[in-house]
Amino acid sequence: MHALEIVTLSKRYLGKRLKRVDALQDLSLEVRTGEVFGFLGPNGAGKSTTIKTVMGQIKPTAGHASIFGRPATESSSRLRVGYLPENPSFYEFLTGREYLHFVGKTFSLNNSMITEQSEHVLELLELTHAADRPIKGYSKGMVQRLGLAQAMLHDPDLYVLDEPMSGLDPLGRALVKEIIKNLKKQGKTIFFSTHITADIEVVCDRVGIIAKGRLMAVDTVENILQSGVEGYQIQVSRHGHVEELLVAKDRLKEFMAELVTSDAVVERIEPKRKDMEAFFLDIVSKEKHSAQ
Amino acid sequence: MGNFHCFYSLTVKALIRDRLVHIFSLVVATVFLLIPVFSMFSMRQVQELSITLCLSAISFILLIFTILSGASSVWRDVEKRYTASILGLPVSRAEFVLGKFSAIAVLIVASAIIMGFVSCLVITLITLRYPADIPVNWLNLFVAVSADALKYVMLLSIALLFSTMSTSFFLPFFASISVYFAGNASQEVFDYVAGEYGTTIPFLSRMIIKCVYYVIPNFAVFNMKVQAIYALPLTPAPIFYAILYFICYTGIMLCLSVWSFNRRELV
Repeated sequence: MHALEIVTLSKRYLGKRLKRVDALQDLSLEVRTGEVFGFLGPNGAGKSTTIKTVMGQIKPTAGHASIFGRPATESSSRLRVGYLPENPSFYEFLTGREYLHFVGKTFSLNNSMITEQSEHVLELLELTHAADRPIKGYSKGMVQRLGLAQAMLHDPDLYVLDEPMSGLDPLGRALVKEIIKNLKKQGKTIFFSTHITADIEVVCDRVGIIAKGRLMAVDTVENILQSGVEGYQIQVSRHGHVEELLVAKDRLKEFMAELVTSDAVVERIEPKRKDMEAFFLDIVSKEKHSAQ
Repeated sequence: MGNFHCFYSLTVKALIRDRLVHIFSLVVATVFLLIPVFSMFSMRQVQELSITLCLSAISFILLIFTILSGASSVWRDVEKRYTASILGLPVSRAEFVLGKFSAIAVLIVASAIIMGFVSCLVITLITLRYPADIPVNWLNLFVAVSADALKYVMLLSIALLFSTMSTSFFLPFFASISVYFAGNASQEVFDYVAGEYGTTIPFLSRMIIKCVYYVIPNFAVFNMKVQAIYALPLTPAPIFYAILYFICYTGIMLCLSVWSFNRRELV
């Protein structure tokens, strides 16, 4: 059983002048238990629509989603999920601690457990000092961190995070990445959306790329990076003279064989490859061309 | 329905901490302080006028509170994107709507009780100073205030329904006010059309008026003020009818609110 399964999900809106807008088209993917899945796409690609559909906030036109085998339309399917919406907003008249208490109650945690867990997540997200202040006075980054804290409160098995790094300063981003890595170590499943490719490279096991409501590619980050190898930068030293050579991927074996027969010494070999961003831009531009 | 209580407490907290509610409470206190003064404007019926003013003040204050809190309840949470976070929790939309309704309804009833108690003090003070020939019928006063509370809880269910459908303040606010005025006049219009005058208007028009009469609420059934002001005898039948009508109409409105909010997409 997958942590999250999306089957031929489609969502069609009626836009201005009754124009049909296909926000999602036959999107299918599964997130395996214990993996970090990055959902990458440009703005307006359908990332948030997918997540909102999974969280039961939008009804799909066709297809369905399930969380640990339970239909996403059932509120009980969210019992094992920690959800952070995009640009979260919380009741401003409550303090951070009161909001966490409210969230804990909806997960049927008892008071002592809520207190204990609240302290833990507030400390983890560096919010202890602001816990008793009304949320009204929180900065954008603090609200974002509170969003992550409330998602972690009940120690869920699956995290669904919509742009978790949005609105955070570099320190906050580093903190969130560290938290995601730690959650992965604990065996938690994480499904998060982003349009920042660097985040995917650092924390994800697999990535799905979405553009204009269609899933364009799903692969492991390792495969993508490996398939993006264009050649090798080789540093060779001959009679005390060092030179840099660029060797094509398919010529590497032949080149190395030549080197062995010569008196040159290989100092360094570095793969020269496209990064995740280049891969992402390739796919998005392909989609643009096919649409034209 | 396990999370119903969470939303109930949350809404109570929201209303108690609302600065507008604090200001409104001060205005209410001032109104009740002024009632003894205004009651003395009538030289002969000071007691009757004081009861009228107290009941009118309670009615008006409950109307304002109901419209403001009911019309902005669900719509504001959607607009401020609180629902995006809240409905990502393992809660149902029915719990959310019904929890909100119950909290506001309880505050309406609590406000009616407090204002009813203050009214008793004001009326007692007045009757001690200006004794009337007819003694105050406290039971009738209690029934009149209770019926008013039921009326506004019912209006709340209507405001909530509009709030679940709306994307702005205007529909729930103005539609609720319109329904309130129409609901207060519906019985009179119906009686008028059912009388001799009705024979002069086309059959189709009469049918339409009849249909509208049954669809919009009939707030006249909750009006027991005259019995309270003049200590007239009150039979149990209209009270039971009012309670039954309240249960049925409010129940239908709540079912429609839940259905409407369940269909709503939180884009």
